[in-house]
Amino acid sequence: MDSVLNQVFAGLSMASILLIVALGLAIIYGAMGVINLAHGEFVMLGAYSAWFLQEQFGLGILVALPVIFLMVAVVGWLVERGVVRWLYHRPLDTILATWGIGIVLQQLVRLGIGPESRYVARPEILDGNVILGGLVMANYRIFLIAFSAAVLVGTWYLLTRTEFGTKLRAIIQNKEISECYGIRPERVYALTFAYGAGLAGIAGALITPLVSVTPGMGTYVVVDAFLVVIVGGVGSLIGTAVASGLVGTASAAFSFLLNDTLGRVALLLAIILLIRFRPMGLFPDKVRR
Amino acid sequence: MNTTFKTDIIGYGLFAALILFVVPWAFAFDGFELNTFARYLTLGMVAMALALSWGYAGVLNLGQAATFGLGSYVMAMHLKLRASASSYNGMPDFMGWTNVEVLPWFWEPFHSLTFTLVAGLALPALVAWLMAVFMFRGRVTGVFVAIITLAFLVALQLVFISEQRYTGGQNGLTGLAPLELFGWRADAYSTSFYYMVAGCLITALALGLAVVRSKVGLILRAIREDANRVRFFGYDVARYETLAFCVSAALAGWAGMLYVLVLEFASPTYMSVPFSLGIVIWCAVGGRESLVAAALGAVVVNMLEGRLSSIFVEGWFLFLGILFIVVVLVMPRGLYGLFSDAVQRLQTVSPRDRGGKVATKATPLSATPAVKEEN
Repeated sequence: MDSVLNQVFAGLSMASILLIVALGLAIIYGAMGVINLAHGEFVMLGAYSAWFLQEQFGLGILVALPVIFLMVAVVGWLVERGVVRWLYHRPLDTILATWGIGIVLQQLVRLGIGPESRYVARPEILDGNVILGGLVMANYRIFLIAFSAAVLVGTWYLLTRTEFGTKLRAIIQNKEISECYGIRPERVYALTFAYGAGLAGIAGALITPLVSVTPGMGTYVVVDAFLVVIVGGVGSLIGTAVASGLVGTASAAFSFLLNDTLGRVALLLAIILLIRFRPMGLFPDKVRR
Repeated sequence: MNTTFKTDIIGYGLFAALILFVVPWAFAFDGFELNTFARYLTLGMVAMALALSWGYAGVLNLGQAATFGLGSYVMAMHLKLRASASSYNGMPDFMGWTNVEVLPWFWEPFHSLTFTLVAGLALPALVAWLMAVFMFRGRVTGVFVAIITLAFLVALQLVFISEQRYTGGQNGLTGLAPLELFGWRADAYSTSFYYMVAGCLITALALGLAVVRSKVGLILRAIREDANRVRFFGYDVARYETLAFCVSAALAGWAGMLYVLVLEFASPTYMSVPFSLGIVIWCAVGGRESLVAAALGAVVVNMLEGRLSSIFVEGWFLFLGILFIVVVLVMPRGLYGLFSDAVQRLQTVSPRDRGGKVATKATPLSATPAVKEEN
């Protein structure tokens, strides 16, 4: 019983990282219809930024988070301005272009920093555990869950209670009419893309104490995040949250019960089946479109 | 006979002449160089297979490497069995290392060459058929087809790597015997072998062109432009898409079989994501609207790789990524697009120079508008 609880807790903490990655992916897809295959590389860039800031300036992850968010958001902004914005009317080509961008980013890191694994220390304030009966909860993992909940609430606030969010939702509903009201879609798109990328960067930084940092780390995370977006449906924050909980624990359970490889295969098959049978996700948003 | 058809035939003839006569002569019939070029030709074949489904039917298959890999493993299994005829139970060596006692049942039929050759085409086609029915009957389109095929590719590769007992795992199938066909022994470094590969590519291209230029090809292009309208005309869109997908898979399987003969081993990297991405890049660079152009794209990009990667090894992949982004952004129709635009410009300019009877000949190429995708 205790081991099951511990497993669920570990699954939940991974799910909260997944939630942050998937939020970025879902926002970009929901707003622009762009499936961003470079999202995993944004996660990887966030992780490398965390490593870089720690090596060079001795900044801990927590202090560095805003900087990392900005750094990766700038990369995202550049990618949108430089490449993605030319392709909004060619959705298939955005997949190809973002795929290419992912390779370029990965290869740049591999050439510039080197292919070997890097490590980032856990913040010292969050060392130690909370023990409840047989359940051992690492403070860092508790922090992850709380932080991702905060990100979720923050994103909800941004989308529903700010001028930026209102503009974004207006564009999603009808781009031409929004333009008539003086909203500049290209500006909103660029900021949205940057925000999504920044979230991925934060997730990448937060994951560093748990896994080693390598140029290829992003692809692994992004498959799960992708499944979350598909399960949760686009445009529903609650759907994304529930889905990341489901996927995080299910993927932990799969690799626990079967083995890692079969767990991955099951995950991929789940993606395929869901796209085929529930293309709008398990929690479709009836209001939009 | 319209002009695009004429361009296709001329391009096809030139390409065939190029790989049959010019290339062997340019490499002075050197076995090693011709082996390298034969490799490019097999890659050209798989790029052309992708052009068939992506360029014509608008079905972007990001998992083309899956069918290619299946074909390659089919061929490698046969050759492996031949190579291990004298070993214990006639079993491949790696099975001994992983304590497999008897030859698994699905390896048995690969003793037969005929079965192997048929399976190399039929197995990828069958897998593609299952996927196609699954996807197209549910009217999955556009980006979602891309994601499903990509996920399938990753899953397939994971299975092949993890089932080391049956597939050789990460090492793949190595130490293969040479193929013997009607008493002819395939020596990968001989001129006759090169001609065999070139002949296969030319045949495959002819088959592809026959499909593309038939009524089926016309309907496929119509589906690419607007699937719903085709549906309203009473055509079964899913069936045509399935057909294109399966033919493309069979051709990719064929290319996979040849690839094993050229390199003399099969490896799970043949069904890796980077390899599959490579296929898409070659096809995009050459131009997905023309089968010959896609094949040529693969040859050109791989020749570049052969030259450049010796200068900067790690940088090659970076260069490829940048090339891909540039092609997608600036010339979505690839080299073929540049070429056909140039031809079109020449044709619209020259009648004016001659003066007089202008208007009738003005825009013969408008039959092929720029490729458009819909979500």
